[in-house]
Amino acid sequence: MSQLLPEAISEAIGVEGIAVELFAAVVGAAVIGTILLTNAALAGPWAKRKITAAFTDRISVNKFGPLGIGIIVPDAVRLLSKELIVPEGVDRPAWDLAPLVIAASALLGFAVIPMGELGPINFHLADPEVGLAFVFAIASIASIGLVMAGYSSNNKYSFLGGLRAVAQNLAYEIPLIIVGISVVIFAGSLQMSEIVAAQSQTLVSLGPVGIPAWFAILNPFAFFLFLVANMAEIGRNPFDIPEAPTEIVAGFQTEYSSVYFVLIYLGEFVHIFLGGAIIATIFLGGPAGPVLPGLVWFLIKIWAVFLLTQWLRSALPRVRIDQLLDIGWKGLLVLAFLNLFLTAGIVGVIETL
Amino acid sequence: MSLEQPRPRDVGVTPAGELDYDALFELLSEYVLDRETHVHAEAFVIRPDDVEAVLATLKREAGFDHLSCVTAQEYQDRYESIYHLKKYDEPTHELSVVVPTARDEPVSQSAASVFDTANWHEREAYDLVGIEYEGHPDLRRILLPETWQGHPLSLDYNQDQPQIVPLREHADPMERRTDVPDEQDTMFINIGPHHPATHGVLHLKTVLDGEQVVDVDPDMGYLHRCEEQMCQQSNYRYQIMPYPDRWDYISAGILNEWAYARTAEALADLEVPEYAQIIRTMSAELCRIASHLLAVGTFALDIYGDFTAIFMYAITDREKVENLLEDLTGQRLMFNYLRLGGVAWDLPEPREQYFEKVREFCAYVPERLEEYHNLLSANELFQMRVIDTGVLPPEIAKSYGCTGPVARGSGVDYDLRRDDPYGYYDELEFDVITDDGCDNFSRALVRLEEIRQSARIIEQCIDLLEEWPEDEREIQSNVPRTLKPAADTEVYRAVEGAKGELGIYIRADGTEKPARFKIRSPAFCNLQSLEVMSEGEYVPDMIAALGSLDIVLGEVDR
Repeated sequence: MSQLLPEAISEAIGVEGIAVELFAAVVGAAVIGTILLTNAALAGPWAKRKITAAFTDRISVNKFGPLGIGIIVPDAVRLLSKELIVPEGVDRPAWDLAPLVIAASALLGFAVIPMGELGPINFHLADPEVGLAFVFAIASIASIGLVMAGYSSNNKYSFLGGLRAVAQNLAYEIPLIIVGISVVIFAGSLQMSEIVAAQSQTLVSLGPVGIPAWFAILNPFAFFLFLVANMAEIGRNPFDIPEAPTEIVAGFQTEYSSVYFVLIYLGEFVHIFLGGAIIATIFLGGPAGPVLPGLVWFLIKIWAVFLLTQWLRSALPRVRIDQLLDIGWKGLLVLAFLNLFLTAGIVGVIETL
Repeated sequence: MSLEQPRPRDVGVTPAGELDYDALFELLSEYVLDRETHVHAEAFVIRPDDVEAVLATLKREAGFDHLSCVTAQEYQDRYESIYHLKKYDEPTHELSVVVPTARDEPVSQSAASVFDTANWHEREAYDLVGIEYEGHPDLRRILLPETWQGHPLSLDYNQDQPQIVPLREHADPMERRTDVPDEQDTMFINIGPHHPATHGVLHLKTVLDGEQVVDVDPDMGYLHRCEEQMCQQSNYRYQIMPYPDRWDYISAGILNEWAYARTAEALADLEVPEYAQIIRTMSAELCRIASHLLAVGTFALDIYGDFTAIFMYAITDREKVENLLEDLTGQRLMFNYLRLGGVAWDLPEPREQYFEKVREFCAYVPERLEEYHNLLSANELFQMRVIDTGVLPPEIAKSYGCTGPVARGSGVDYDLRRDDPYGYYDELEFDVITDDGCDNFSRALVRLEEIRQSARIIEQCIDLLEEWPEDEREIQSNVPRTLKPAADTEVYRAVEGAKGELGIYIRADGTEKPARFKIRSPAFCNLQSLEVMSEGEYVPDMIAALGSLDIVLGEVDR
C-alpha cells in the first residue's frame, strides 16, 4: 500500500520531528482542500448552470471563456463583494459559527477518503481504522450547523428550515449508516483503504474485460438504498426540504448574505461531493479504474453522483415533509435492516463453508 | 352528478327553459319594491334589510346558485348595491337584485350568509364605495391599506387629502407581529408579499400549527391600480380598450379585451362582423393557451421548487404562442387588438404563411401535451404531492363563486363559451373539460386538456378564415366616433377568461364615459376559496393549492 500524503511530504522534506509532521499534515490538507474547492467552484457557478440548462433546453452561460466557464470569476467577485447583512436579533456566536460548521464538516470528511494516485502522489490524508465511522460522524455534524443557522437567525422561515433539517437527518442517517454497515460486513473492516482493497478483486472475467467486485455490483440493492438515503442526507431534490424554496423561502439560509452565504453554498456543494466520495469509496471501488490515474477516476465517480443529483433536481418534484418522514422511517429503515440481515446471513454462510 | 335525483324545475322557468321574470316577481312579491330593466336582465329593487331573505329564496327556490358579482355605486341621492345572480346550470338566466340605501346612512344587510363569495365582494364595496354591510362576518378594507381615509369611489371623496398615516397614529406592525399568546401552540407567519411562491405581491397571513395550516388570510391590494376609476375617466370608444390588457397581464390580454368589448357592444347595441368574430375567437384561444401554459408551468414550479424542465418547456411553448400573437397584433403582451365592433386590423400578410404557422403550432400542441403528461401527470412523486390535496368540493366551489378551470376541476360543468355563447363559439366544436377529482391534480389536468381543446378551436377558425371570400373580410362594423349610450342604461356581461368568468358592469350616464365601471375578476373570486382548500393541510399543500388557483395579482387587485 502506498504512502499517505502527509508521510510523503515529510519524507520529501527529509527532516524528522513533530513540527515537520505537523507542517506536512497542514500542507497535505491544503492540497486536498484545494482540489475540493476547485471542484466546488467549478460545480457551483458553472457546472450546475450548464447541467440544468441542458436538462431544460436552454443554453445558459456561454459568453465568457470556453463554454462560459469564465463566469466563475465574476461570480466569485459578485458573491464576495456583497454586503454582509446581520439581521437584528440574531444569536451572534451561533449565527456566525453556523456557516463555518456547515462548510468545515463537509471538508473534514475528506480527511479519510482515499482519493487515488496521480503519478507518485497518493491523495489520502489519513487512514484510521474507524475510517467509515469517522466519515459518517463528521458528515452529520453538518446538521448541527443547519440547526444553529435555523435557530439563531431570528426568522421563522429559518426556524422551520432548521427543524425540518433535524427531522430529515434523523430519519435518513440511520438507514444510511445501517446500509454502510452491510458494506463493512462484506469488507470486514471500517478502514477505508481496506474497503477499497476488498473491492479490487475481479468478480468474473468476460474475456479481456474483468468485472470488478465493487459492492455496487455485489449488492445493487444496498447501493440503491444508499443512493436514496444519500440524497436526503445531502438535502437535494426530491428531498431538499430544509431549503424548500417556494415554501419556506430558503429555509435555514434565508438570512445569510455575502461571505456567510458563500460558505453555506460551498458547504452544500462539498457535501454533495462528500456524499459522492462515500458512494465512490464504499460502492464503486474508490479510485479503481482502467488506464486513467486513480485520482481522475475518483473525480469522475464523484462528478457522476453530482450529475445524478442535478438530474433529479430537474426531473423530480419535492416530497412533503410528512411523506419524507414516512419514506424514511417506514420504508428505508425497514429495507436497510432487511439488507443488513440478509448480507450478514449470506456472508456468514459463505464464511462457514 | 348523474346519481342525483333530477331536480324539480326551478320557480321562474317556463317549460321551454326560458326565464320568466313575472313568476320570479310573484315568488318575491312581498319583498320587491320596483322592477327595472337592465340591458342583460331584469332587476328587482328590494329593501336593504331583505337582502338575505331575497337571495336565500332565489337560491333555494329559483336555482340562482351563482352570485357572479356585487357592484356598489353611489348616486347623488342614494347608494346602491347590485347582486348579479346567475345559475351554474344555465348562465343565460340572469337576475339583478338592486339594493338602494340612504345616502346619510348607507347600511345594507350582508349576503355573506347565503353566498360565501359575497364576503370579499362586500368588503370591496365597503372599501371603495363606503357601503356598510350589517351582519358581515369581517367587514374590513380589502384592497386599500387599513389606514386609508375615505372611500375612493364615493362622490364626495377628496383626492387631495394626504393619505400617509404614520405608524404611531395607527399601529406598529413590529409590535403586533409577536402578539401571539404564550399558551398558544401555533406560529404566525407572513407568507409574502415578497415570497417565491405567491406569484406576485400577495400576502398570506398564515397561522401554523407545526407544519399544518390552521388559518390563512390573504391580504391583497399591493397591485391595486385604480383600474375601475381609470376606466370611468376614459371614453368608451377608444380609451378603455388598452386597460383590460393590464388586468390579467401575463398572457390573457385578448380574453380580457373581449370582456370589455362584449359589455360595451351590448350597451351600445353594436354589431360585430362574423369575420371579425372568428379572428377574435382565434386570438382569444391563443391567449388561453399561453395563459394555461404559464399556469401549468408555475404550478409545477411550486411543486418541484426549482426552475425545472417542465417549467422551462412551458415557457418555451408559450413563447411560440406569443410569436403568433405578435404577428397578428404587433404586441406580445399588451395587445390592444380588439375594437368595439371588430378588431384593429386583418390577419398579417402573407396570409398563407400565417395560416401555415398557426396550423403547425396546433399540430404541435398534442405532441407537447404528451410530454407534459409524461412529466407531470404520470409522475408518481407529483401525484403523491397533488392528489387529494387542496380539496374543493363542488358545492363549496359554487358558493365561493369559483369559475373557470378551478370550478371545472371540481366537477362544475360551467363554461360561458358553451353555456352563454358569444363570438363564434356556438358554431365551433369543442369539449368542456371537467374533472371530478376536486383536488390540485384535477385543476392541473383540466388546464392541460383545455390547451388541447383551444388548439382544436383555433384549427377550426383557421379553416374558416382560409375560405372566407376576399370581398367579405369586414373587420369592423360602422361604429360612431363618439359613443354616448342613453343615461341610466345598465349592463353586466361576462366572458370566459383564462381564469374563469370575467365580467364587467357598466352604467351609462349619457356622456361618453361610464358612470360606473365594475370588474368582476375571476381570480379574485377563486382566491377566496384558498382558505377552505388549505385549512388543515401542510404548508407545501397550501402553496400547491395557491399555484393551482392560478391567480394573477394584476387581476385580483385591479
